[in-house]
Amino acid sequence: MKKLIILFLLFTIHYSLFTPAQAAEAPKRIISLAPSMTEILFALGLEDRIVGVTSFCDFPEEAKKKQKIGGMSNPSLEAVVSLKPDIVTMTTDGNPKEFEERLRSLKIKTYVFRARQIPELAQGIREMGLALGIKEKADALAKDMETSIDKLKQRRSSIKKKKVLFIVWPDPLIVAGPGSITDNAITIAGGENIAAESKSSYPKYSIEEVIHQAPDIIFIGRGMSQENIREVSKGILKRLKSVPAVKNKKVFYVSDYLYRLGPRTVKGVEELAGYMEQQR
Amino acid sequence: MKIRMIIIILILMLIFGISLILGPRIINPFFMDEISKEILFSIRAPRSIVAILMGMALGASGAVLQGILRNPLADPYILGISSGASLLAALGIIGGMTIFGTFTVPVLAFIGAVATGSIVGMMGWRKGGFWPERLLLAGVGLSFLFSALLMLMMSISTDEGMRKAMLWIFGDLSMSEWSRIPYGLIFVAAGVVISASRAKALNALILGDEFAHSLGFSPHRERFILFISVGLMTAASVSLGGMIGFIGLLIPHMIRFFIGSDSRVLIPASALGGGALLCIADLISRSILPPMELPAGVITAIIGSPYFLYLLRRKNVLSI
Amino acid sequence: MSSVYKPMILELNNICFSYIKGISFIENLSFSIGEGEFIGLLGANGSGKSTILKLGNRILKSSSGDLKLWGKDIYKYSNKDRAKLICYLPQTLDINVPFRVRELVSMGLYPYDIPPAMSADDALELVGLKDKATSYLTDLSGGERRRTFIAMTLLQGAGLLLLDEPLANLDIKYQIELVRLLRKLKEKRNISVVMALHDINIALQFEKVMLIKDGKTLGIGKPEIVLTDAMLREAFDVNIEIKKSETGNTYISYENNF
Repeated sequence: MKKLIILFLLFTIHYSLFTPAQAAEAPKRIISLAPSMTEILFALGLEDRIVGVTSFCDFPEEAKKKQKIGGMSNPSLEAVVSLKPDIVTMTTDGNPKEFEERLRSLKIKTYVFRARQIPELAQGIREMGLALGIKEKADALAKDMETSIDKLKQRRSSIKKKKVLFIVWPDPLIVAGPGSITDNAITIAGGENIAAESKSSYPKYSIEEVIHQAPDIIFIGRGMSQENIREVSKGILKRLKSVPAVKNKKVFYVSDYLYRLGPRTVKGVEELAGYMEQQR
Repeated sequence: MKIRMIIIILILMLIFGISLILGPRIINPFFMDEISKEILFSIRAPRSIVAILMGMALGASGAVLQGILRNPLADPYILGISSGASLLAALGIIGGMTIFGTFTVPVLAFIGAVATGSIVGMMGWRKGGFWPERLLLAGVGLSFLFSALLMLMMSISTDEGMRKAMLWIFGDLSMSEWSRIPYGLIFVAAGVVISASRAKALNALILGDEFAHSLGFSPHRERFILFISVGLMTAASVSLGGMIGFIGLLIPHMIRFFIGSDSRVLIPASALGGGALLCIADLISRSILPPMELPAGVITAIIGSPYFLYLLRRKNVLSI
Repeated sequence: MSSVYKPMILELNNICFSYIKGISFIENLSFSIGEGEFIGLLGANGSGKSTILKLGNRILKSSSGDLKLWGKDIYKYSNKDRAKLICYLPQTLDINVPFRVRELVSMGLYPYDIPPAMSADDALELVGLKDKATSYLTDLSGGERRRTFIAMTLLQGAGLLLLDEPLANLDIKYQIELVRLLRKLKEKRNISVVMALHDINIALQFEKVMLIKDGKTLGIGKPEIVLTDAMLREAFDVNIEIKKSETGNTYISYENNF
């Protein structure tokens, strides 16, 4: 009898040390509250288990066919609840905190993805993999990312550091500042973000300051409207015509890989690095 | 009286000069390198000129409207013109339109302003008369409608789109360039000249329609002409750089305090005062948290509100 | 003996007007006023006094009948020319305007491209407000305000003043002061006045009165003839007696009603 009691105690103590997010079995119905989450979930091969996504989840193509539950900052509680999810994945950057509390009070399991910058990404994927019962795939994906990033870091030690500006939107001028994923990417790829002294991650930046800082390379993110970004950028590039990047034709239009912290982010960093290495 | 006008003109010129020299970095006009020259001539100069033009439009419009509507709290946005402009501009920004190239957003804003102004103007006419009460009601009503539509649009757009739209709406002078100035200048100058030429009629209208009539004016016609001048100036101002509040409301009161209420002086002085105020506000907005830029409209509100409350205490009744 | 034809300043002939379509208010109104004439327009509230004055100045348009200013159709005058000849002062001068007295009086010059010889200070002197030239209108008493506007009309040079109840809400002292001022101006500048009022005692002081009820004229002429007990009863719907005191002054009494 004593043995049973001790075994029982050990079992309960051991059980209580597990975090609540660790399900004994992998959740079958998953809802994603962020496009970055959706991409990661697909990359982990969980496509069939995803029952709901946001209206902004557009990658990969299959994601668009999933049931929509609203936006990132305003997901619909009703929609989420009616899909009877086993777990709801969300981010700290874009989803409202109150929503998470609401879900928990309704006894719906949540997983909050806390990684916000590239160095935290791989570990974040590993942790989420554990929570979703898909440890091996997650570890593999994470390892992949870490390897690619290490390779990039090695490459950069052989290149001279260049001054970089990443324009998120040309009119009004919004750039990538400190703490943004893009800022990480620039550093990893071996550049120096001239906007690193700003006070927020996506500040409205002074054109005067850009001229003063004289960046060597300017990246312009294509953003939502792929087609006419060149049109829209004409104005700002005209104002910046005296800047080395414009004079030497080192203005590159890049895709939106760096706008989401997910499986394509590393591709985004590689894209930047590629342009930066060009000797032309 | 003349002396005080000259003082105001000098203040404006001084402020313009300061806005070129200061900024997040000080540029010494006697020792300018290539980069500084570039900054001064291509960035700061057009920006300050646009600020002055906008300020002139708003100051003069405020003075005229407070007279036409006989309301000390009137400002150019009360007639809904700015809501219509903001709505169309936001549509352009969020929808990523480029129909008019780099001029897309300003042109859309102007179209929105003129369209709204026309609707309000038409609704102001009834039975051969152009009535201030109808103008006010039409303006406020349309304002609510367009603001609601604007909020609707923003709630279904992405956070990014919404932020861009908001930055424009709260006043964005950062994209000012020389090519926009001639258009702005034409409309603002036209508006100021037209309204200043009807200054006597405005004085008479302030007394009341019957007095205006007795003094030999046609009150409805004069009101209409003045309204059109306000419409042009406000449309130009909003299309140049978004909604910058408080100037239209505050400057006429400040000028009345220092110079008097005669519209013949009040209108030009309010124009100059408005230009000076906005130029300073813009200077502050780009210098206070470098390298970030705050929306100028926020600065004018922060400067404007306490001063407005102060004026309220000094004058027991804030008459027009 | 040749008769001198004195042109009338303002002539109304068979004027008709209605506020609401179909319900006529003023019917076939005719009267005229010449130089240096004072007419008291007497009637109860709503009897049409303001309407008649506004019709006289073209603020309201009559539906039929003709209106002549110095013998010419009033509509043939430009706004400015008309303003140089007639003025209208409304009943309520309780306006919260930020103008100083001199600024306000100077507005009388607006109809003129070339300013007349008189200055704002001259006009203020005439009405006795010279020392208040730099005060704000809002700081003046009711009587002083009316005098300010009278000064403005002087500067306007108008020969005919249409005054809508200028004595309303004034202390009797200031009422008398105002009537005296108008008389002085008549002597000095030969102005004519049509004044709407409803104080019958004051109306008795006019050379000519016009008694109005419901938009119709009960009588025009000397007060002794027009303001009889019977007429006044009809106009005001109460018993009014015209009495003569021992000193020969005429006054009215309401005693019979109590």
